[in-house]
Amino acid sequence: MAFKNISLAFARCLSSLQPRFRFNWELPHANLRVVVDGLAGALVIGVVAATPVAAQDKPSSVGLGVFTFTSGPAAAYGMPGKNAADLMIDEINAKGGIGGVPVTATFVDEAQGAQGVIAEYRRLAGDAKNQVMVAALSSATCLALAPIAEQLEVPTVGWNCDTHQLLMDGKSKYVFRPNGNTVPEFIAYAIYLLDRKPDVKTVAIINPDYAFGHDAAKIFTAALKALKPDIEIVAELYPKLGSPNYQTEISRLTTARPDVVFSNLWGADLENFVRQATPRGLFTSSQVVLALGETVLQRVPLPDGVIVGVLGDGWWMSPDAKANPETVKFAEAYKSRFGEYPVFPSIKMANALIYVKAAYEAAMQKNGGKWPTRAELAAAMKGSKVATLTGITQTRADNDGLVDQIVGVTVKTSAQPFPVIGDMVRYKGDSLMPQAGQDPLAWISTLKPEFAKSLPKPGSYKIGER
Amino acid sequence: MSNAIIPLLLDSLASAALIFFAAVGLTLVFSVLRVLNVAHGSLYSIGGYVAASACLFIASRQLNPYLSFAALLFSAVFVAAIFGPLIERSLVRWTYGKSEAVQILITFGLFLILEDLQRLVFGVQSLYEDAPMRLLGTSSIGGVVYLNYQILLVGMAVLVVVGLRLLINHTRLGRLITAVVTDREMAQSIGIDTNRIFILAFSLGVFLAALGGALSTPTSGIAPGLGADTMVLAFAVAAIGGLGQIEGAAVASLIVGLARVLAIYLAPSLDAVAPYAAMLVVLLIRPYGLFGSVTARRI
Repeated sequence: MAFKNISLAFARCLSSLQPRFRFNWELPHANLRVVVDGLAGALVIGVVAATPVAAQDKPSSVGLGVFTFTSGPAAAYGMPGKNAADLMIDEINAKGGIGGVPVTATFVDEAQGAQGVIAEYRRLAGDAKNQVMVAALSSATCLALAPIAEQLEVPTVGWNCDTHQLLMDGKSKYVFRPNGNTVPEFIAYAIYLLDRKPDVKTVAIINPDYAFGHDAAKIFTAALKALKPDIEIVAELYPKLGSPNYQTEISRLTTARPDVVFSNLWGADLENFVRQATPRGLFTSSQVVLALGETVLQRVPLPDGVIVGVLGDGWWMSPDAKANPETVKFAEAYKSRFGEYPVFPSIKMANALIYVKAAYEAAMQKNGGKWPTRAELAAAMKGSKVATLTGITQTRADNDGLVDQIVGVTVKTSAQPFPVIGDMVRYKGDSLMPQAGQDPLAWISTLKPEFAKSLPKPGSYKIGER
Repeated sequence: MSNAIIPLLLDSLASAALIFFAAVGLTLVFSVLRVLNVAHGSLYSIGGYVAASACLFIASRQLNPYLSFAALLFSAVFVAAIFGPLIERSLVRWTYGKSEAVQILITFGLFLILEDLQRLVFGVQSLYEDAPMRLLGTSSIGGVVYLNYQILLVGMAVLVVVGLRLLINHTRLGRLITAVVTDREMAQSIGIDTNRIFILAFSLGVFLAALGGALSTPTSGIAPGLGADTMVLAFAVAAIGGLGQIEGAAVASLIVGLARVLAIYLAPSLDAVAPYAAMLVVLLIRPYGLFGSVTARRI
């Protein structure tokens, strides 16, 4: 312990010396920075590597670094995740914590940008109490943190992290995604759309201007072209993430007169888009597909017939969820604490924490009840199969997750004052994923209409039929 | 594409109206005070927050929804009355006659304070209340459905340009402002209370910023971060029009609006850079902006 403290203090001293060297001694800054950062990094790695020995004893608490957006337009998606983490951690602690150890969380706001998030990650990882990071929401953050997680050997669970690029090299040891990714998520929409509207000829796309938006457009377009080659993309718009105004984009979409408008806008962007597009008739002139539409069902009056889904199986009203007393209890507790039912980011976060807890339990079971090291935790996550609030999440050998995909359309019911998802389908997670190491777009281009015909149809996912 | 010409022009006008509201206050303050107020974007978003909160209050109390229109206007008056004199007397007046770097540093500090103040008071989540937008309904023009509220904004922008021109050219206050802008020392020597003129002019700038924020919230809501985006765009418009030129801001808003709309219709990937590309082209041809002119430095 003393060695660790001395090492950390020395690493901090080295870093603080850097400005002195630069301003007073006039040494070459770039070279010096490499040396100083290298020494500091080596010491931190040394500390982290030394940590597992001490961590064999049960700690007083299990610390989790939880990364999400708690401010800005993206908080409309990130805060439900944070709320779910608060609630789920309380539930875990009420049942005795993990192996009798209470769980605590330190939340990091991703809105501060990649540099700040990386610094926070390193700071949290330097504390042996924080054995696992639940990071992150944004694909960009996940891509930035992945190499650091590998470098510091800290198990990192992507609670959202949609981009398929995250685990493509198949070499990750410490980064896990117990979710689907952009590949199954957006193929699912293409298949559902063609089942529901087989005569579609023209499609317009409006996605956010960063990796998630562009990846989704590529995958959705590739799947549509593979399954129905005569489809034409008549407009592709990529407004800046966080744009408050979509009026010109709505006019452009209307003038293109597409049969279908597809969008994976999210957070406040999605709310703004829906509020502005609804009175302007976009939802009546075209079939609209909102990939993250479930997140706004309780906030914005979406009309009937909009294709929406949950990027996975995290729909709190799905037949599987309704049949699980734990999920019903979670949803009601969430509603009573936060004033609305959990949206799918909430479920994704809750499922990620269940996944972490299951990994601890599996690791302890494997090593005879001893408190696991970070390496043992990571080993327990690899290849695991965990029952979540809404289904099963399976972790492949490349650390990527397999979860089912639920898609449906908005319908009104007497049970709720807001639209819910009806005419649902639940695609098996592995049916929409390429093999580990396979190029996703190349795999999608091999899909044939027969492939779609072999999958379940809209309306097939009902209570009592699973 | 021919069927898109009318929508393209209408979208350009609607976009220009919003951009104009963001920029006109900045340019007015610069024309009178010779201060580039970097905190202008924050005042725009505070206007938006106050207006959204007022409209949400009206909706929650189930008051007459048409009161929302009055709430938009009075929110801007409220923000100007509070922040205008306060900021001008406590901070901005110390920057008069100082270098641009000092002015920018001080108003940038104010920007940071106001951004955090907004988070403290209004929280970090987005606010929405679109009653004014819904109440006015829609119109179909050129095969595209437009919000009548968008058309109202175009009318409001024209009204502001004409109103400011009338204020400056045909009222006593306008003549006093013109006198102070032309020669501050001479204005003081003939008995004009320049401090009062500065407070009024700065408060008018704050009012225009807050009005822009208030008028934009029914269609786009309000969220943290809007202030910074607005400031950058407003500066581009002010630079194109010529710093301190109100008509220049109006023409520049039209240029930027048209550039953005053309980009979205024809080359969507250029949407984000279109306003700045327009600025670059204009400044290469006319370094002081479309309506700007070289002024001799007074010793």
